Amino acid sequence: MIALFRVDDRLIHGQVILGWGSVLKPNRIVLADDEVAANEWERNLYAASVPAEIKVSILPLPEAAAQFRRGIFDAERVILLVRGPKDVVALMDLGLAVSEVNVGGLHYREGREKIIDGVYLDAAERGIMRELVKRGVILDGRAVPGNRPVKLNSRVV
Amino acid sequence: MSDERDRGRTAGIVVTHGKLADELVRTVELIVGAQEDLYAVAASDLCDEDIIGRVRDIVGGRADGNVVVFVDYFGGSCCINSVRAVGHEKGIKIISGVNLPLLLAFATKRGTMPFDEMVDHLIRRGRESVKVIDL
Repeated sequence: MIALFRVDDRLIHGQVILGWGSVLKPNRIVLADDEVAANEWERNLYAASVPAEIKVSILPLPEAAAQFRRGIFDAERVILLVRGPKDVVALMDLGLAVSEVNVGGLHYREGREKIIDGVYLDAAERGIMRELVKRGVILDGRAVPGNRPVKLNSRVV
Repeated sequence: MSDERDRGRTAGIVVTHGKLADELVRTVELIVGAQEDLYAVAASDLCDEDIIGRVRDIVGGRADGNVVVFVDYFGGSCCINSVRAVGHEKGIKIISGVNLPLLLAFATKRGTMPFDEMVDHLIRRGRESVKVIDL
């Protein structure tokens, strides 16, 4: 089962491993990203950053969706990570059922506007967030579980 | 959450040169969320007496003991003044050589294990994290 589905452009980092990990106690992290999955060096770097007791799967989006569909992770507590909102839409189009997404780490860069602390979106990303809202997805905005959760659904329209 | 209350029982005080303590605590909160009973004493503009006074004030407000004082540099003024302030008190441990992994371990592990065991664990984490990265 998916304990947390998170959009975070840093993918695996401290807020995920320690912040969410110490509360949710996942036994697997699934990093779904075409770019990272295609780059052995990046794969090794991310895999080495995860404590030994947590398993890691680094998969291209179609393979990640397929493995979830086949129920491979049903008996596990999984944190699913993607880089941006477009990846959430892509996974849904590939058959992944999504009711809620944690939006926690979309950092500032040129062209992005601040939505809440730690979440900045450009115009295209706002459009994709609106599409997620249309599909009934709850957008839970917060970096770590101890922060006050902010529902972003009304803030991206 | 009862989990939060348990965590609150063991307090931490970070005492460092410059403004390092403020930033260490701020960074811990950025990574694992807001912390109760984790205090920063940044010695930037403080004289010895003020460092001692602040550490004593923080410890004095906690009747139930179990405090870890983290200092940055063994033998430095923050270390020496922390020892002067509370070094002789029961239920207080002073750890030198604080680093971010050690402090993150404190934030996530306090309240989950006995105090002395936790102190050993923190020191292990702090030491393990200093290594040549070889992937």
